[in-house]
Amino acid sequence: MSDKAIIIKNLNKSFGDFKAVDDLEFQVEKTECFGLLGPNGAGKTTTMKIIYGKSEHDENRETIVDVFGHNPKKQSLVIKSFSGIVPQQDNLDTELNVTENLNIYSKFYGIPPREAKKRIDELLSFMELQEKAKSNVRELSGGMQRRLTIARALINKPKLLILDEPTTGLDPQVRHLIWNKLRDLKEMGVTILLTTHYMEEAFQICDRIIIMDKGKKMLEGKPRELLSTNLEKHVMELYGVSKDGSDSTKALDAAGIRYEFHKDTLFAYSNDSEKLAQIGEMLKESEYYIRHSNLEDLFLKVTGRSLNELQ
Amino acid sequence: MNYNNNYKVPAFLQRILSVWYRHVKVYCSSFFSNALPPFLEPLIMLAGLGIGLGKFVPDMGNMSFVLFLASGLIVTSAMFTAAYECTFGTFIRLEFDKIYDGMLGAPLSVNDLIYGEILFAGSKGFFFSLAVLIVVWVAGIVTYPLSVFATLIGFITGIMFATVSMFITSIVKNINHFNFYFSGLLSPMFFFSGVVFPVENLPKGLLFIAEIVPLTHVVRLARAFCVPGGLNYGLLLDLLYCAVFVLITGWLAVRGIKKRMIV
Repeated sequence: MSDKAIIIKNLNKSFGDFKAVDDLEFQVEKTECFGLLGPNGAGKTTTMKIIYGKSEHDENRETIVDVFGHNPKKQSLVIKSFSGIVPQQDNLDTELNVTENLNIYSKFYGIPPREAKKRIDELLSFMELQEKAKSNVRELSGGMQRRLTIARALINKPKLLILDEPTTGLDPQVRHLIWNKLRDLKEMGVTILLTTHYMEEAFQICDRIIIMDKGKKMLEGKPRELLSTNLEKHVMELYGVSKDGSDSTKALDAAGIRYEFHKDTLFAYSNDSEKLAQIGEMLKESEYYIRHSNLEDLFLKVTGRSLNELQ
Repeated sequence: MNYNNNYKVPAFLQRILSVWYRHVKVYCSSFFSNALPPFLEPLIMLAGLGIGLGKFVPDMGNMSFVLFLASGLIVTSAMFTAAYECTFGTFIRLEFDKIYDGMLGAPLSVNDLIYGEILFAGSKGFFFSLAVLIVVWVAGIVTYPLSVFATLIGFITGIMFATVSMFITSIVKNINHFNFYFSGLLSPMFFFSGVVFPVENLPKGLLFIAEIVPLTHVVRLARAFCVPGGLNYGLLLDLLYCAVFVLITGWLAVRGIKKRMIV
């Protein structure tokens, strides 16, 4: 058995002519939090589904999918018995209350009733849902439903937690709460694999990420390092600039500053914020705004600023 | 909390029972609205057809029309409940509520989900036929003690219509298509499978069709338990039919649903 949590090599998945995953390769270390980033349709969810056997990859001799020493095509039940899975969409039993929802899942894992009861109490307090133990799922807010879905995935004390866009559509408080819980879980030795398109999420909790686009891996590394090696430190945004031959582009060209347009906004990148500010002041052509570059800029640089047909 | 998971994959039977348990739990969560209709429906049918129409209808073979009808209703109620469960119910869990997507995150296979669901439909068939029996016992229509075994035929009926309905569900794209199944197949079967009149009275061609469709066989089995001297070796052929029917439609259902769920 290898010391890696997940090994993916030469992974391909096609739906007809459409290649959802294209020659993907990555490895997840034990007890790290690993993020798959990419726009909609990048193949993140498909990759996750392959890992727990919900989806089957294309037949190929060189393909390796190894999850704690198990192959999901043959041993998906074993993988699922030590994993917790949080799907993109909450699919709780809305006719039942919070405790019943967890209890039903405890049966799926074959957890003895007495142990399950203890475990459910633990999880409700861990996810801060004790007061809602007897509430009907329908009465819960979106954030509570999400927390319950995560609690449900933890019922079997998983060593691998797989989350598909865990905080999409949630308000900032709940997002921070969930991030804290995921950090706690990592401390307790859980390996976490998640997909997201929130760059902040990746920055907050992921040890390493890959950025995917159109089924391919574009970049891999630690969030901060990826940023420093692939992108200038500062970004200036200029609004309402005409595309060619304007003073601003000439000035930027003269200063040797990289820039690109997205719709009506010009993005200029440099490690020197003073330089950017000088140009911004000089132009007076429009309003400007200088900020630190973030993972979002990197993401957009790698995956392109235009929308694809799935977005 | 300690995250040294040491749970094993539960055994096959335990997995299926856990799926069954989920369905029972959800069914019982609205017990009143779910448990009343099985008792009301046979009452209405027997009052309308049996008492009203029955006065003008001569005895059927060796039994009164009301007894004849009552012994048929034991299985038709099982048929309809299993058919609804495994068409609309399954489709909603599959496509709208994504309940199955969640369950497939637990150590369950698609087969486990299907078998658990079929077992639940069988249990519902048992419960619905028991409800009819209780009504006809109380009304004094059926008095033969062996009639209690007709509930087992209700269970078998539930299983049969679960497998065939799940197969239909696996090929249906739109939930409204189930209307064809109900009005095109199940409703005619209700009238031409010996529930309201003996199939022996049908013209040859229709009699042949009646022998092909599943309901005729379970009606014959259930009725045999409801009257003294009803049991005979010929019924083994009907049982054999049920077994073959379940195997074939069950195989088709598993194949179809799997194709739909594992992509």
